[in-house]
Amino acid sequence: MYPIWEVPSLTPGIVLALIATFHILPSHLSTSAMWFNVYVETKAYRENRPELLEFIKKYSLMILIFSYVFGSLSGVGIWYAATVASPRGISGLIHNYVWGWATEWVFFIIEVTGIFIYYYTLGKVDRKTHLKIGWIFAIAAWTTMIVIVGILAFMLSPGRWTATGRFFDGFFNQTYWPQLLMRTGLMFSIAATYAIVIATRLKNEEVRRFVTRSASVWGIAGLTIGGLLFFFYQKTLPESARTLISLLSTPGLKAGMLGSLGLMILYFIFAGMRPLAVRLVPAILAVFVLFTGIWSIERTREMIRKPYVIPEYMYSNQIIAKDIPSKKVAAETSIINEKGILNIYPFTPQGLRSLNEANMQEAGRLIALIECSSCHALNRKGLRPLPQMIKRLGIDANTPRQEGISTIDGILSGLGGYPYMPPFVGTDAEKKALAAYLYSISQGI
Amino acid sequence: MDIATLLKTMQDPMGIPFYPVVFQFLMVLTFALHIMFVNFTLGASFFALYGHIKGTGYWKQLSYSMARAVPVNVSMAMLLGVAPLLFVQVIYDPFWYASNLLSAAWVIGFILFMMIAYGFSYVFYLGRKKKSDGYLFFGAVSFGLFLLSGVVMHVLGYQLLQPEKWLGWFVRGGSVDASGMTLHSFQISRFAHFLVPSIAMGGIFMMLYAWYFRDRADMDKKYIEWMSTKGGQLAFAFTAIQALVGFWWLLSLPMEFNFFTNPFFLTATLLGIGLLALLYMAQKEPMKYTIPAAAGAFVTIFAMSYSREALRMTYLGKLGYSMFNYKMNMDLGSTALFISTFLMGLVIISYLLAVAYRSGRISGEYTATPIMERWGKISIGLLLAWIVVVAGLGIITTVKNYL
Repeated sequence: MYPIWEVPSLTPGIVLALIATFHILPSHLSTSAMWFNVYVETKAYRENRPELLEFIKKYSLMILIFSYVFGSLSGVGIWYAATVASPRGISGLIHNYVWGWATEWVFFIIEVTGIFIYYYTLGKVDRKTHLKIGWIFAIAAWTTMIVIVGILAFMLSPGRWTATGRFFDGFFNQTYWPQLLMRTGLMFSIAATYAIVIATRLKNEEVRRFVTRSASVWGIAGLTIGGLLFFFYQKTLPESARTLISLLSTPGLKAGMLGSLGLMILYFIFAGMRPLAVRLVPAILAVFVLFTGIWSIERTREMIRKPYVIPEYMYSNQIIAKDIPSKKVAAETSIINEKGILNIYPFTPQGLRSLNEANMQEAGRLIALIECSSCHALNRKGLRPLPQMIKRLGIDANTPRQEGISTIDGILSGLGGYPYMPPFVGTDAEKKALAAYLYSISQGI
Repeated sequence: MDIATLLKTMQDPMGIPFYPVVFQFLMVLTFALHIMFVNFTLGASFFALYGHIKGTGYWKQLSYSMARAVPVNVSMAMLLGVAPLLFVQVIYDPFWYASNLLSAAWVIGFILFMMIAYGFSYVFYLGRKKKSDGYLFFGAVSFGLFLLSGVVMHVLGYQLLQPEKWLGWFVRGGSVDASGMTLHSFQISRFAHFLVPSIAMGGIFMMLYAWYFRDRADMDKKYIEWMSTKGGQLAFAFTAIQALVGFWWLLSLPMEFNFFTNPFFLTATLLGIGLLALLYMAQKEPMKYTIPAAAGAFVTIFAMSYSREALRMTYLGKLGYSMFNYKMNMDLGSTALFISTFLMGLVIISYLLAVAYRSGRISGEYTATPIMERWGKISIGLLLAWIVVVAGLGIITTVKNYL
C-alpha cells in the first residue's frame, strides 16, 4: 500500500477519468484515420485524381498533431494519473500484462515513425512506396487496438484467468471479441467524422464532395456494425455487470449512447445527400456528439466493474479481495480484519497505530483516506461526497453523537451487501473511529 | 517492521512473468534511448531560443532549423519514454509508486507542462514562418516548461532512492499530508549531470543535422558547414564541462558507497573520456566524425544509464532490497509474444527509417529500388501474419474456454 493522494472536491479517479476522456478523441482517430487515408490515396492514384492529395495532406497533418502530439501526451497522462489514483490497481495490471503493453509499444513506435514519414514524404517518394507506408501505419494502428482491447476486456471480465492465471486466458475472455469487433466498427465512423471536418476546409469543391460522400458511407456502415455489435457485447457481460447496469446506469448515460447513435446516423445521411452544405462548426459539433456516445460507453464500462478495480481480484480501494491460487496470491481482507488497517498500512503515523479517544478523529480520517477516498470526496462539495451521503441517512446536527456513530457503524458493517461497494475492512475499533470521523464531517451542513 | 521487510511486502504479489534481469536490461536500454532524445529536445530547444535572441546570420538560421526539430524530438522522447516507465513499474514498483504518490499533484502537473511546452514549441516554429519577430515568449515558455518537466522527473527518480524518508515526508505534525503538493528532494549535482549533456547532445544533434543535409542541392553549403563546426565545438566543450560535473556529482554521493570503484561506473567514465578524445579529434573535420561521435555519445549514454542503475542498486541494496529477488510467475506465452513482435518491429521500423533517410537525402522525388520495394512488402506481410497468428491464438483460447 502507498501514500494517498487526496484531490479536494474531485477524487483522483475523476482526474484519471478526465484525462482518459480527452484521450478518446485523439486515440480513436489514430486507429482509424489512416484506413480512410489509404482509401482516398488509392483512389487518387487509380483514377488519376491528384487533386485528392490536398485532403491527404491536411488529414495527415491533423492525425500527426492531434493524435501523436496530444494523443501521445494524454496517453502517457493516463498512465501517470492511474499511478497516482490507483497505484496497486495499475501495478496489478502491469504485473500481469507487461508484455502486452510492451507489445503495443512496438506498434506504437511503428505508428509514430510511420505518421511522420507518411506526412513528410507525400509527393517526395514514389506512389507505391507512399501507399505502403500508409498501409503499414493503418494496420499497425489497428493492431494496437487488438492488444489494448485484451487488457480492457480483462479489466471488465477476467474470464478463466482467475483459475489459471495465464495471460491469454485473461486476455481472450468472453467480452474480448464483441468489444474488438464493436470498436473496429465504430472506429470507421470516427475516421469519417473527422474526415468531414477536414473536408469543410478544402478549396476544391469536387474533392470536398467526394470526401464527404465517402465519409458518409463509412460513417453509416461503421455505426450500423458497431451499434449491432454493442448489443452482442452487452449479452456477453458477466451477470454481476448486467445487474449493475440496471442499478447504476443513469438516464443521461443511456441517452448519451442511443441519442448520439441516432443523431450521428442522421448527420451522415444528411452529409451524404448534401455534402457541400456541411460547414466547419456543425462538423466539429458532430465530433462532440460522437464523443458523447463513446464517453457514455466508456463510463458505463468503468461503472460496471464495481466494487472492483480488477474484477474478482482487487477492490476499487486497492485491497486484495480474493485469493488467486495460481499466482500464489492471498486475499488481504481477513488479515486486515484481524490486525487492523492502520497496522497493516505502512504509512500510518506513529501515534495512530493504537486507537484511543484522543486520536480517534485523526485515525478515522486516515481510514477514510485509505478505504473511501478513491471514489468519494471527503469534503462537502464534490464527487459522491461522504458528508452529504451521511446526511442522507438522516444524520444531522440534531442527531446525538453516540446515536449517529452507531447508525454509521451499522451501515459500515453492511457495506459488503451492496453490489457496488467493497466491504469495510479493519477491526471493530477502527470501524468505530471511521464512523466517528464520518459523523463529525457530516455536522453543520 | 524493518525497512527491508516492508519494501519486500510492497512488491506486487502477482510477481513478474519473466527473469528480472531481462526487464532491467530493457529498462536501461530504453531509458538510454529516451534520455538521448530528451537531451536532443532540450539542446535543440535551447539553441532555437539562443539563436532567436542573437538574431543575426547563421544563428538566426540555426534557430529556425532547431525549432523545426524540437517537436519531432519530443515525440521520439515521449515514445521512447513509455518503455522505461513501464519497466520501472515492473521491478521497482514500491519505489516508483511511493515517490509518485508523495508528489502526486506534480505528477499530473508534468503532463500539463509537457502539453503546453509541446504546443508552444509548435507555435514558436510555425509562427515565425510568417513573421520573423516576436514569438520569443512561446519559445522561452516552451523551453522553461521542458526544463520544469525535467525537474519533476528528476525529483521522482531521486525520492524513490530514499525510502527511509518517505514516512517523514508523508506525515506532518502527526497527521498525513495527502495533498501531493511538495517536491521533497532535489540534488543539484545529479540534475546538472543531466542538464549539461543536453547542450553537448544539442551540439551532436547539430552535427547530425548538417551531416544529413550535406549533399542536398537546395541547402546553403556554408551554413551547413558552419552548423557542423559549431555543433562539434559545443559538443566538445560541454562534454568537458560534463566531466567536471561528473566529479562534483561523484563527490556528493554517500562515501560508504565507494561508488568510484563500481565497474559500471568505471566503464562509463572510461567511455566518457574516450568520447571527449574523439570529439577533440573531430574539431578539425567535424563532418567526417559525425557518425562516430554520435555513436560514441550513445554508447556513453548507455553505459551511464547502466551506471545510474548500478547506483540505484547500491542505494536500495543498503536497505536490503534487490530486484533480483522478485517473485516470478513465469508466463512464456506472453514473453514469446513480445520478443517476436519486437523482432518483427525492428524489420518494419528499419524499413520506414530507410525510406525517410533515402528520400530526405535528395531534393527530387525518390523512387524505391527493387530491394526497398520487397522490404516494404515483407513489412506489410509480417504485420498481416502477426494478426493471423494472434487471432488464431485467440480463437483457440476462446473455443477451449467457452465452447
